[in-house]
Amino acid sequence: MKLFRDLLRDYRFAFAFGVLCILVAFALLSFFSPYDPSRWGQVPRDLRPSAQHWLGTDSNGQDIFWTATFAVRNSLIIAVIAGVVSRIIAVIVGMVAGYKGGTWDRVLMFFSDSLLVIPLFLIIVMMAMLIRASLNLVTLGLLLAFFGWAWDARLIRSQILSLREREFTQTAILSGTGTFKLVMNEYMPYTTPLIFSTLINNMAWAIGLEITLAILGLLDLATPTLGTMLYWAINYQAILLGRWWWVMTPITLSVALFIALYWLSVSISEYLDPRTRVQRVGAG
Amino acid sequence: MKPRIWLLISALLVMSLLMAGCAAEPAAPAAPAVGEAPPAEEPSAGLGDLPRHETLIVDILTGRVGTPDDFNEWVGWKWRDRGMQNLANEPLWSVDFATGKIIPGLAAGDPVYNDDFTALTIPLREGVTWDDGQPFTAADVVFTVETLKKHQGFNDHIFFGENVKSVTAVDDYTVAFELNAPNSRFHTRFLDRWGATWIMPKHIWESVEDPVTFKFNPFVGTGPYKLHSYDPSGFWTIWEKRADWDKSPTGIMFGEPKPKYIVFQYFANEGAKILAQLTHQADVVNVSSDGLKAVLAQCESCRAYRLEWPYVVNNDPAQTGITFNTARAPYDNREVRWALLLAIDIGEYMGMAVDGTGALSPVHIPSLSNYPDDFIKPMLPWLEEFTIDLGNGETFAPFDPNASQRVVEYAKSRGYKVPEDPEEQARLFGYGWYKYAPDVAEKLLVKNGFSKDGSGRWLLPDGTPWRIRCLTGTQLATGMGERNCVAAVQQWKNFGIDAEVYSSEATANLNAVGDFDVSSNWPAQEPWGAGPDLYRVLNHWKSEFVKPLGEVTSGHPSRWSSPEMDAVIEKLQNTDPTDYQATVDIGIEGLKIAVREMPGIPTFGYVGFIAWDQTYWTNWPGAENPYTQPYTHWGPFKYMTPFLQPTGAR
Amino acid sequence: MFLKRYLIPRLIQYVLVIVLGITAVFFIPRLLPNDPVLRTIAEMRARGAYLEPGAMDKIISDLQQMYGLEGSLWEQYLAFWGRLFRGDLGVSFFQFPTPVIDLIMTALPWTAGLLLTTTILGWVIGNLVGGFAGYYSNKQWSRVLDAIAMVVRPLPYYIFAFALLLIFAYYLRWFPISGGARLGMRPSWSWPFIQSVLWHSFLPAMSILVLSAAVWFQTMKLVVQNVNAESFVTYAKLSGVKEGRIVSRYVIRNALLPQITGLGLSLGLIFSGALITEIVYSYPGLGTLLYNAIINGDYNLIMGITVFSILAITTSVLIVDLIYPLFDPRIRYM
Repeated sequence: MKLFRDLLRDYRFAFAFGVLCILVAFALLSFFSPYDPSRWGQVPRDLRPSAQHWLGTDSNGQDIFWTATFAVRNSLIIAVIAGVVSRIIAVIVGMVAGYKGGTWDRVLMFFSDSLLVIPLFLIIVMMAMLIRASLNLVTLGLLLAFFGWAWDARLIRSQILSLREREFTQTAILSGTGTFKLVMNEYMPYTTPLIFSTLINNMAWAIGLEITLAILGLLDLATPTLGTMLYWAINYQAILLGRWWWVMTPITLSVALFIALYWLSVSISEYLDPRTRVQRVGAG
Repeated sequence: MKPRIWLLISALLVMSLLMAGCAAEPAAPAAPAVGEAPPAEEPSAGLGDLPRHETLIVDILTGRVGTPDDFNEWVGWKWRDRGMQNLANEPLWSVDFATGKIIPGLAAGDPVYNDDFTALTIPLREGVTWDDGQPFTAADVVFTVETLKKHQGFNDHIFFGENVKSVTAVDDYTVAFELNAPNSRFHTRFLDRWGATWIMPKHIWESVEDPVTFKFNPFVGTGPYKLHSYDPSGFWTIWEKRADWDKSPTGIMFGEPKPKYIVFQYFANEGAKILAQLTHQADVVNVSSDGLKAVLAQCESCRAYRLEWPYVVNNDPAQTGITFNTARAPYDNREVRWALLLAIDIGEYMGMAVDGTGALSPVHIPSLSNYPDDFIKPMLPWLEEFTIDLGNGETFAPFDPNASQRVVEYAKSRGYKVPEDPEEQARLFGYGWYKYAPDVAEKLLVKNGFSKDGSGRWLLPDGTPWRIRCLTGTQLATGMGERNCVAAVQQWKNFGIDAEVYSSEATANLNAVGDFDVSSNWPAQEPWGAGPDLYRVLNHWKSEFVKPLGEVTSGHPSRWSSPEMDAVIEKLQNTDPTDYQATVDIGIEGLKIAVREMPGIPTFGYVGFIAWDQTYWTNWPGAENPYTQPYTHWGPFKYMTPFLQPTGAR
Repeated sequence: MFLKRYLIPRLIQYVLVIVLGITAVFFIPRLLPNDPVLRTIAEMRARGAYLEPGAMDKIISDLQQMYGLEGSLWEQYLAFWGRLFRGDLGVSFFQFPTPVIDLIMTALPWTAGLLLTTTILGWVIGNLVGGFAGYYSNKQWSRVLDAIAMVVRPLPYYIFAFALLLIFAYYLRWFPISGGARLGMRPSWSWPFIQSVLWHSFLPAMSILVLSAAVWFQTMKLVVQNVNAESFVTYAKLSGVKEGRIVSRYVIRNALLPQITGLGLSLGLIFSGALITEIVYSYPGLGTLLYNAIINGDYNLIMGITVFSILAITTSVLIVDLIYPLFDPRIRYM
């Protein structure tokens, strides 16, 4: 609790946390939506924002405000699945490779390097087509997770490598601490900030990639996400027809989401360990 | 240390320029290949040299040309709408779906078959020359057929190999074919309906060693335009009016084409295409429904096919709708198929699919051209009497002659200016469709063992939830097939079925091998779009083409067939297609069977959206003056060029 | 010592990664439901070719033969390596019978020209500005830049690029709306053509440059802020070293190291093309070529482009790894 209060003193954290809370609350509103997001023609089409439809309506006959609540929720679900699952892989691979060294290290790093050099976008596009028939929020999240861990595993590994050289490792090993206990008790606290900041970056990456895949029409377009909202807006020429309320909603939401995640990551990692030179990989 | 970084960076920059340069090299030598177009090799040749007031710029429908230097249309797919089929090539005959006529191009008239359809002669037009000045004669036709027969790799190799026993030139302007088996529709292979077998110039091809890999660059045709230049990346192709345009069938029939140059240009996204038209850099664009709205809202000088609402081209000869996979339960049951049809409220459906702009058709051909007069209107009394059996002696007459009124009401509710004249309304919205009868649909389903669970969801006869996935392509916002799936899914959801759209890049394959329940494949093979002959539509339902699931079907993806329909097809096969009334009557027989069995739901005719800018060119073939079909990507575009009027604007 | 302990294992890894990558890209497209033969037939049908239904089986086997898709997957795989070693990438199915190499060579100059320039410039600008902004992170201008980068970076690229097009090509009419060069111009080494290409590439380049610079800016700024806190910087300050020198010699240089690996990776990515850029600006390049190849199940073309792409990434990462010690005095392979 004290940690949280300390963090709140950083205006960036306070702001980002606030925005994120608002967005999560917004996403939770979707459970109270009067509309089914998969149904069209429920409201008159192409209405400007009004008291009745706060953010107007789109050309499919859906209320943009309520669709957006689903969109934020679904994009967050994808991002959390992708982020958490890929963190689990990255942590395991990074720690085993870093701690065990030798053959383990070489084999694991070989796989992660291979993933890094395969043209990722190409593979993800092909995989998305391959599992098209069963593509939903969870499978998309897992797909992104599967391809999103390699770089971060490398970062974690190099940190473990440097930790291993430190004194306490020797002490712990000499005093007979088990490997698992050693890793959990001694290494985890040091690597947590790194894991956390890569988690947030990875979530931002997943949200961005989801938007790109959706704009290309590769996802289930009946499920509202930030990306599919943009897909419909672009394909119905909302920009040229001046339907700004339709285009601006997903854009504003995704910018807000990105900024919140970014500041959260910066602020947490600075607070937890100002000396760790965390290399933050681009989310782009 | 620091200078080294800069050294590295500048090295990389230099490398990038070098790479770009080296790689650019192989692209450049392609230029001399356009032998006929020396000006194009000059780097300064650009639109700056093509005077804008003599140039017509249109967009390529099928996208960026993947094989820009290859004009060998007879092998593979060569983006023929880049100007090849629509300007530079003349077929023997063309379909004009706006006038309902077959236009003879290189042919001088109809083919003449013998009594048992095993031989035919085709009269050819005199006075035609290729664009290099050589005369066109029967020898070219004979050479083409023999070459296609000889080399594996030509798209038509198998067709001519199996059908043609011999082909001879009776004289310079008459070709005679002897066929291996009776085939009363053999000549339609040369009838251009967005594609046909083209005639090769013998004097060029006879000296070619491997005609399958020959690039035929520059293209030599009998059309009124010839190749000027093209982009090695496939973004544009420029055609120039022939000096001897009067030696092309177009010139002979319709006079001098007006634009001196015609440019086919590719835009990778619709937004940019619209911006190009708004700035008068594109005269004709094919857009989406909303794209057309954006153009009309912002461009003073632009017009659509219709001057008033609904603006769209609704006489494209394709009937859209839904196809059932009749090899898969429960869609093998015609009563289930009918139940799914009756669960559709066509007024709402049309609103959702195309904003109320299409023409309904209750049968498996579209409501356009000569089809309403020849087929649909004569069928109306039968349709009104037609009933389906609900069991327990109950019957139901599903046809609703006023269904189009429901679409009209929808359009009015959107604030559109709908014409009040009933005849005009029928032309725009069709001559009726089927009733919205969910209660009848329910009876049909219950009769067949379906049931509903507590929450009102339908269960299959085996008690599992009924889930329908409608297979379609990826252009959900704009594609006509896609719009059908989207609307049908919403209707079936309302009816209590767990329906969803399944869009895939592999639609063509999944349709072909039968890996779907319901798809947005056209419910029947497209008709010719003109004339009395429905052989092309019905033939695809022949039982011998149906293959087991998992294998590529040769016929219609619905895999539906019936002995009754086989008999009709055979009857049609033995009817001379030039015998108008007999051909129509048999066609109607076939359509009746299709309605009764409903292997796919016909909904509305394909809706096309074109926008014409009238800044430089006017007298477009709009709905008020449909002198020819309106598309620039169809073959008869060349027959439009003599009628276009330059405004003189610069 | 260097050779044995570092270089040889590194080279073995280099080769293994390439083989693994190419193998993966060989098999994945073949698992897709997209069959190139059926696709071609569907394409011909959709384009109006009326294929006699009875002749379908013959057409399918003919096409399989022409496309070299006979035999088991394993035989095809071995045949593929055989051809690759002879430098033969085969012919494209969708653009039959154009050789894959021709297609790549037409598209590559456009992609390489655009992406090499923007990637490098974006890296240089982003890191320089980010470095200074990180060092002077308390200054007003630094915060303004930070705010700009923060808002620009998450903008969906498609929307950002289209907005540029709308503003500069439509409202202001400073730049052309579409294409890689003026309509009617063929590639050549003439000044008017080069001029036209530069003019047409400006908006595509800007759209990529701004976003990538924003990404490098953000990472660099954070890293520099951290380096700032290191003892050697404080020491340099205390010993009266000029500030400009501290930023460039100590701070940026140290912070740049991890960025170099990043540059290596993004340079390699060039060969996948810039799909969305090409779509928004109707710009010729590898991105659309590759995307259409995937959609059409054009195996040879997918393989051709990916082979280039994988070679590019692995090689640029290898080069970066090998020249790394030049920049980081702490690392020696000896």
